[in-house]
Amino acid sequence: MTDHDDPFREARARCPILLAQHQGETIPMILRHKDVRRAAKDHAQFSSDAPRRVPIPSEEAVRTVRQYPLEVDPPDHKDYRKLVEPFFLRPKDPEVETRIHALIDTLLDAAIEAAETDIVHDFSIPLQSRALTYLLNVDEKEADLWISWGIHVFKDGDGKSKGPFMEKYCQKMFEAAEKEPGEDFFSALNQAEFQGRKLSMEEKLGYANIAFAGGRDTIIHTATRILKYFAENPKALDCIREHPEMVNTAAEEFFRLFIPLTHIGRVCPVQTDVHGHSVEAGDRVSLTWSSANRDPEVFEAPNEVKLDRKPNPHIAFGFGIHNCLGQHHARAIMRALIQKTAEKVDRIEVISETPLLEEEADYTRKVGYEILRAKFSRREGNP
Amino acid sequence: MPKVTFIQTDGKRVVVEDAVGTLMEIATDNEVEGITGDCGGVCSCSTCHIYISPDWQDKVGDPEELEMDTLDFNEEKKPNSRLGCQVEVTEALDGLVVEVAPEE
Repeated sequence: MTDHDDPFREARARCPILLAQHQGETIPMILRHKDVRRAAKDHAQFSSDAPRRVPIPSEEAVRTVRQYPLEVDPPDHKDYRKLVEPFFLRPKDPEVETRIHALIDTLLDAAIEAAETDIVHDFSIPLQSRALTYLLNVDEKEADLWISWGIHVFKDGDGKSKGPFMEKYCQKMFEAAEKEPGEDFFSALNQAEFQGRKLSMEEKLGYANIAFAGGRDTIIHTATRILKYFAENPKALDCIREHPEMVNTAAEEFFRLFIPLTHIGRVCPVQTDVHGHSVEAGDRVSLTWSSANRDPEVFEAPNEVKLDRKPNPHIAFGFGIHNCLGQHHARAIMRALIQKTAEKVDRIEVISETPLLEEEADYTRKVGYEILRAKFSRREGNP
Repeated sequence: MPKVTFIQTDGKRVVVEDAVGTLMEIATDNEVEGITGDCGGVCSCSTCHIYISPDWQDKVGDPEELEMDTLDFNEEKKPNSRLGCQVEVTEALDGLVVEVAPEE
């Protein structure tokens, strides 16, 4: 473990919050597990009714729409969320699960055949983009374009946000689905009724925005880091093979430790005391999931990977009513990835790596990799 | 094999005659409505929240600290609440009756 894996260790032991500078804004970061869960449940004091300001850093410069249902408070939140829930439950459908397994088989076979593979661009980005077509029930060919959006739609390596392209693309998809409706996500939102009325284009784009942006870098980094872990710990693959029942607990442990999303914001509607710090009305706090997931008060040996950790009350998918809609998708993908890698792969040797660091004024945190070149070798006896 | 009865929130009873595993695993294997066990049984998601029939509370026992912490945040928590993933069904629990808690 390096300090970049848990940059909040000292601050969390010292104080419940870290007052951190984020692009000129002072944001108290709530660091401890119990405090983060409590704040996530308290919608009155810590509101999500803040278009484009729930993520930290804020996304005011990179998107024009409010994300639904993330940036909405109760009571409307529930009605917004239930409109898209059926799509986000699709990964539990055995047919969708079978497609995810087949996709991972194909990607692993290609990686094994290749002289070397950049896990980020040749494996995790195609995995995320193609699997998303299964979730949204659209033609898999659409993924070819999505793959070109890179690791993070709003901030990929070339520094140019793909946000405007994505918004235009989604608008076209809604318009096309209006003319020729199908069983896909875009058609479903065109037909959906919210509290007795149709959704506006702004609302539909807000749903699409989070479906594309929210589940992107998170899935990509988690998949990459799981493969990196197996590269460094080949015995873990033996362990999964010997104890296939560990696939689920291993996935949860990887979610806990490799959470790409450092934190998410909430806005205080009125002046609020947050662990001794006064937050002015309209200012933000951070629910620092990544710190809470390493709180030694809750997790014994918090920086150790324990493939069979149980209980493991991590909050990698958030907590409370805003918990991650894509969690079933993430679980289906990572469980399949762990299982298939154990079945097919003998060793992964890292050739070169470029970690992706989130560098802020008060901390630097490793969120994933920009590039991770590796050589995969096939397990003997596995065709 | 122990027998376990789940009472769903719609009042329907699901009786499992040959219960093996945790209450969450038994419920999901037998399609008990309202128990989804999303996190696979690590006490992270609370989607296997149940109420133990008062007659059985002593035999089932109390939650451990981490389970209790998670339950404490659940708005539907009652004194006989448990997370199904943390209750392993043994022969001693033959005849157990539990109610599925409503969704938060």
